[in-house]
Amino acid sequence: MILIAIILPLLAAPFLGLIGSPRQGAIANVALSGIVFILTIAAFAAPGSGLVHADDLGLVFGGVTGFTGLTTAVASFFYLREAEPRLSLRRWRVYHAMCQVVLGSTLLGLYADNIGLLWAAVEGATIAATLGVSMPRTASALEAAWKYFILGGVGIGLALFGTMLVYLAAQPALGPGFSAMSFTALTAHAAGMDGSLLTLAFVLILFGYGTKAALVPLHGWLPDAYAEGPAPLTTSLSGPLINVALIAILRFRHMLEANFTSGGTALPPGPFLLTLGLASLFLAAFSFSRRRDARRFFGFSSIEHSGIAAFAFGIGGAAAVFGGLLHMLLHTLIKSALLQVLIRAAALRGSTAPGHYGFSHLRGLIHSNKYTALVLGAAMFGLTGLPPSGLFVSEFIIVMQTIQRSPWASLPLGLGLLLCAVAILRNLGPLVFGHAPPRTKPAKATPETHLVTLHLALSVVLAFAMPPMLVGLLSQVAEALK
Amino acid sequence: MSLTFSLAHLMGGIILVFGFSLLSQRRLAAMITIYQIQAFVLSAAAFWQGYAQHEVNLYLTGLITLVIKAIALPIGLRMIVAKFNMIRAVETAMPVLLSTIIGVGLIGVAVLVVLPSTLSAVSLTREDLAIALSVVLLGLLVMTTRRNALAQIIGFLSTENGLVLAAIGMPGMPFVAEFSVALLVLLAFLVVGVFLFRIREHFDTLDLTGIEEIERRGR
Repeated sequence: MILIAIILPLLAAPFLGLIGSPRQGAIANVALSGIVFILTIAAFAAPGSGLVHADDLGLVFGGVTGFTGLTTAVASFFYLREAEPRLSLRRWRVYHAMCQVVLGSTLLGLYADNIGLLWAAVEGATIAATLGVSMPRTASALEAAWKYFILGGVGIGLALFGTMLVYLAAQPALGPGFSAMSFTALTAHAAGMDGSLLTLAFVLILFGYGTKAALVPLHGWLPDAYAEGPAPLTTSLSGPLINVALIAILRFRHMLEANFTSGGTALPPGPFLLTLGLASLFLAAFSFSRRRDARRFFGFSSIEHSGIAAFAFGIGGAAAVFGGLLHMLLHTLIKSALLQVLIRAAALRGSTAPGHYGFSHLRGLIHSNKYTALVLGAAMFGLTGLPPSGLFVSEFIIVMQTIQRSPWASLPLGLGLLLCAVAILRNLGPLVFGHAPPRTKPAKATPETHLVTLHLALSVVLAFAMPPMLVGLLSQVAEALK
Repeated sequence: MSLTFSLAHLMGGIILVFGFSLLSQRRLAAMITIYQIQAFVLSAAAFWQGYAQHEVNLYLTGLITLVIKAIALPIGLRMIVAKFNMIRAVETAMPVLLSTIIGVGLIGVAVLVVLPSTLSAVSLTREDLAIALSVVLLGLLVMTTRRNALAQIIGFLSTENGLVLAAIGMPGMPFVAEFSVALLVLLAFLVVGVFLFRIREHFDTLDLTGIEEIERRGR
């Protein structure tokens, strides 16, 4: 099941690159993503074994990735209708092929039980996403892609070095060979690993995968990539990609923590993660105010939430890790919903091309279409983390755990969360209810806005009425990785 | 055993020296030559490690390095330089002296960080790792101090040489050949130059100063 879910999109990509018309490509894209979604759900029954197998963490996030992949493909289908005349057939071929490569490598990154394979998955996804970002071929899209590639390349290089050091650190416990690269074996034998080497490896990995997760010193690519790339691919699929990087960091963090608590020579991972997490949170909080482009604005919001998750992992303990994972899940759902409805909003105002997402251009959306405007408002409100948003639950857990475990950190955390929420709320009012630009005409909503509503509803259900099976699964994961 | 050690260290040292001289070199053509020699030495180092560790995988890595990185990539890079007529291109993003001093500092950091934390590891790996990390950091420094896209790519190529150097020194590590292939794919994307040609198309030069364009527009 799992292998097919990974290999199918990767194998199908070259064929999507040959397909005759953009429309057929979009249909094939939806069909493939649909099959992959079913497979990621079916994986709960057959998680597989060996080099590529899904543990509980992989299963949960794989399911969300499959779901987001499917809704993104559907959104792409509608995006095509507006954007088709702007781009040539060749661009669309590349676009659809890259959607599938990103989907396949994201799943590989989640399901791989091998630190080398994980690295390869992240690398593949980076290349595909770069090609995707450069697709509009405008000067600024190419700049964004170049920035992404250079920063991504640096991150990939550091992550590979860290990966090799983890292997070396595992030598005393596991000896040469495949077992020293398997997450399962590494986690089980973390106590016997060379602690100081593992610390060095963790720092490199934190900065390496931190680049993909857009944690602060290496976050520069994300707002540009969001704002300049083709709307559905870069925005919705980069959510799951951020999850892959954060989960990788979480897994390596656990090795370090286990080594530290069992008396090894490793340093505790908490301070590293807390620092990067808080730095990301505050950078986002202070960057919000000056953004005029909505997609760039929400790019900074992704940096914020990535920082919150890293912060939660830094606090440590089963409950905080649970909060962090829940936060990632909900954020993926809400953010991809938001970015999808943003494409709709831009379409209501005439064009979905990059550069048409300015707040001044979109403001007063309710005068164009009530339903779309309200869904957009709901999604934005969801991001603030105020109740009844799903993120309220995860942020509440994280704040409570912070007060309990490292009270000094709760003050900056609370301040950062507050600043971010205020910044988003300030933009919400004018964007949804403000005065529309002159000559705005009411327009009809499109059916895929319902998908966005589904996303939001799902996030609320997951937060406030999570099925007990899922709670059990996530708690087990958090307990194992605390 | 002692010959294994000293030869491996010698080759690592040569790679480091060439990585360092990339910093002070201003002409693109000369940077490419330096990179090429570095790649040649790297492939020799891979063959030597393959012989010492009795690993077929490492021979394969050496062969890939030799054919693609030491021969094919430099040819491609030279073609780009000739095509864009950049043979005499000089670009100064940072004074050479300053970047050299920072480079020395980075090597110091690499040694100070790696040597104490690898006391228990086999000593062959230990010093090799310090050298490899230095090469990686120097390559990153080249990437950050150059404005020219091609010079940044050469910095990246050098970084990647450092990574392969670290990988071949790991005792019995699986996937070494696969890693170098995966890295090559990345490099191929860079060099074959979706970007180079498109950037040329839009910016008219390979100078990436314009990359701050987005920032200035404040979007």
